[in-house]
Amino acid sequence: MSEFLQLLVAGLTTGSFYALIALGYTMVYGIVRLINFAHGDIFMVGAFLGWTVLSALAAMHMPWGIALLLAVLLAMALTGGIGVVIERFAYQPLLSAPRLSILITALGVSLALENGVLLIYGPGFETYPHLVSTAGFVIGGAQISYVQIGIIFCSLALMAALYLFVHRTFMGTAMRALAVDRDAARLMGIDVERVIQTTFFVGSALAAVAGVMEGLYYTEINFFMGFIVGLRAFTAAVLGGIGNIPGAMAGGLIIGLLEAFSAGYVSSRWTDVIVFAVLIGTLVIKPTGLFGERVVERM
Amino acid sequence: MAAAARFPVAPLVIGALVLAAALPLVSSNYVIDVGLTVVTYAILALGLNIVVGYAGLLDLGYAAFFAIGAYTTALLETLLHLNFWETIPFSMLLAGVSGVIIGFPTLRLRSDYLAIVTLGFGEIVRIIATNLDITGGPNGLYGINPARLFGHDITSPKAVYELGIAFLVVVLVFVIRLGRSRLGRAWTSLREDESAAEAVGVPTLRVKMLAYVMGAVIGGLGGSLFAARFGAIDPTSFTYAQSVTILIIVVLGGRGSLPGVILGAIIVAGLPEALRFIHLWREFAFAIALILLMLVRPQGLWPARLRHIAAPSATAAHAVPEAEPSALVADEAGDVPAPHRGTLLEVRGISRIFGGLRAVSDVSFSVRQGEILSIIGPNGAGKTTVFNCLTGVLQPNEGSILWGGASLVGLAPHRVVALGLARTFQGIRLFDDMTVFENALVGMDHRYRVPLVTEMLALSGARREAGRHYAACRNWLEFVGLADQAGMRAGDLPYGDQRRLEIARALAGQPRLLLLDEPAAGMNPTEKQSLMGLIRRIRDLGTTVLLIEHDMLLVMGVSDRIIVMDRGGVIAEGRPAEIQANPRVIAAYLGTEEDDEDVGALGAVA
Repeated sequence: MSEFLQLLVAGLTTGSFYALIALGYTMVYGIVRLINFAHGDIFMVGAFLGWTVLSALAAMHMPWGIALLLAVLLAMALTGGIGVVIERFAYQPLLSAPRLSILITALGVSLALENGVLLIYGPGFETYPHLVSTAGFVIGGAQISYVQIGIIFCSLALMAALYLFVHRTFMGTAMRALAVDRDAARLMGIDVERVIQTTFFVGSALAAVAGVMEGLYYTEINFFMGFIVGLRAFTAAVLGGIGNIPGAMAGGLIIGLLEAFSAGYVSSRWTDVIVFAVLIGTLVIKPTGLFGERVVERM
Repeated sequence: MAAAARFPVAPLVIGALVLAAALPLVSSNYVIDVGLTVVTYAILALGLNIVVGYAGLLDLGYAAFFAIGAYTTALLETLLHLNFWETIPFSMLLAGVSGVIIGFPTLRLRSDYLAIVTLGFGEIVRIIATNLDITGGPNGLYGINPARLFGHDITSPKAVYELGIAFLVVVLVFVIRLGRSRLGRAWTSLREDESAAEAVGVPTLRVKMLAYVMGAVIGGLGGSLFAARFGAIDPTSFTYAQSVTILIIVVLGGRGSLPGVILGAIIVAGLPEALRFIHLWREFAFAIALILLMLVRPQGLWPARLRHIAAPSATAAHAVPEAEPSALVADEAGDVPAPHRGTLLEVRGISRIFGGLRAVSDVSFSVRQGEILSIIGPNGAGKTTVFNCLTGVLQPNEGSILWGGASLVGLAPHRVVALGLARTFQGIRLFDDMTVFENALVGMDHRYRVPLVTEMLALSGARREAGRHYAACRNWLEFVGLADQAGMRAGDLPYGDQRRLEIARALAGQPRLLLLDEPAAGMNPTEKQSLMGLIRRIRDLGTTVLLIEHDMLLVMGVSDRIIVMDRGGVIAEGRPAEIQANPRVIAAYLGTEEDDEDVGALGAVA
């Protein structure tokens, strides 16, 4: 029982990262039908930017609460900005080109981000400053840290905020309109370019938060960390039904739990096989993911 | 695209291959080594090009087939002591079987879901290879013998390179023949419009599966070559990054374009070598170069040619008497069993329900041999839904559809086409990026009798049959008045011509019943006039026509009988003059007098 609880909390924690990153995949896909293969690396860039700010502030002996808040906000703003710049230069010119072309530029951006960070920060690991204590509490025999609880609640709060943003603001309504029909949205006077840029900003900023969380949780970050996490988050987005926001949240948590339990009860060597087998099995039964809607085609 | 078409591609590619084969005469071992890497990537990319370029599907786990080929050769050599050549069939077979395995769950998925499923498959194969003992775990397998030919081991870099070139030539010939075959056309039609392809007789599920299988077989061959080259393999050669590299080669070079794919292999495998002098910046520079190249040339560096097969000339086509439309149709009519000559199609009480709406409710009618029967009715009356039920696109919830005494319910659209019903669409659905001629060919391809292998080997029987098909398709184009546009891109045709091409594509399948869904929509009066003539000529050949149309002038002028539908049901049936006088029909179109009185009463109250 205690092992189960331990794994459950660990799964929810990593699931929170995946959910936050999956939201970026799913929002971008919903609006421009692009699988943004660079998104995992955006997450990695967010982790590095957060690390840079946090290290600088820690060196200035700032109280850790304020330092962390500043680091998260700055990482969000900067990473969001990078997301917008990438969209403007690498994706926007190809939005009406064949879909595969834009997929390849996304792969190119992914490579460029990885190698850019490699050039700036070097190939080794960077260690997040130990600002947050590793303290925690024991419940039902399971050791749970405050960091885990903080991460889970923080990401739930962000998801709730995103939900309100998408459903209660004009920009959110515009996003949903674009997801249904971009041309009709343009004809209705929506500034399509700005909506797309906002989507990239929000998606990238959420990934940056996940990056900082990952740094705090695992303490070490590396230029290559975006690949595997990005892959899991992408899997989560597809599992939930790509383009569907609640689906991405649920998918993230499911993948996180699946990973924790398969590592705990089987072996971490087989985690990916289990995750992908579940994904493929789900898609065979429900081809559009758990929450995805069927696209009906008119003849 | 036009510039590439004028280029004499074939001699250029042959020249380049001869030069490549002569490379060892002048080059160092280092250059040869890079050359062999290029050749290996070219082979793999030609395989992936079948999936991505020809069929328009996505595969982010292609390295799995490469891995399966390499591990098969390695295991058979080290455990069973087979030699290199004996292992190749097994490599290709195993890779092909895994192509079926990956193809199967992905058949029903949309392309974006394919990305993650194929990626997942690639990762699963790699992780299994890393974790099993028999595959040597993370260390892999070693001690794989080199290939032996005429009693000599092929070990020196130059000899292995020549072996690679030989493999490349074989693969190249294979994919060229595939691309020109009916299977190649089926892949392209699938890429352009899957539902339309199915509706003109392409068995899309099988064709999709075959794309994965053919791609996999070539990947397996590449894997065998790789194992023999290095004598040792380990899982790090078969990563996601490897799959991505091969995909980049295909898209960067120009998907579907064979010279493009080879050019892509040279650039992607060669560029990092050429960039060695910038050391650490190399990968970064490659990434930026990749983005810029895609921005400048979204279609790829050497885009695919449009035309694979030229239409025969008028004299050549008319030299084949059995390829004349009249002969083709007469040929079909002879197959009809005598008791069914009168009634061709019988619809008995079909209903189709969407959610809570009965779009079609208890509709019955029959189509007689040789007539022009029209279905008219206000928008939303259920006309197109009836068409979709007849052609297998939708299944009716109730009722039966009998064709020559046999039921059509439950058959996939391509099976219905094979039985002799062909259709056109309300919104035009052509294969835009194919020529006019090849559009028509796709409509006829389900009639091929010779096996695909015979066709790819261009044996005389297959050549004769292909010649007859080409002549027939050209004649059908002439029949609808498009013979001179045969070499054009279908998407570039003017609107009225696109409509007529859809009809030609359907006719090329030699249907006994042609279903036309609003063929006159959007046409001007002159075009409508000529369409009326065309429909009559189709009937005069002996093909029965079932027509949905809103244009009353056309319907009344051309129909032998008319069925009127309203709100999902049939409200009248009869000759044009009877229909024009039928009060229920007038009510459905103009509203009843009672309604008018109601309006008047409302007016009085106000």
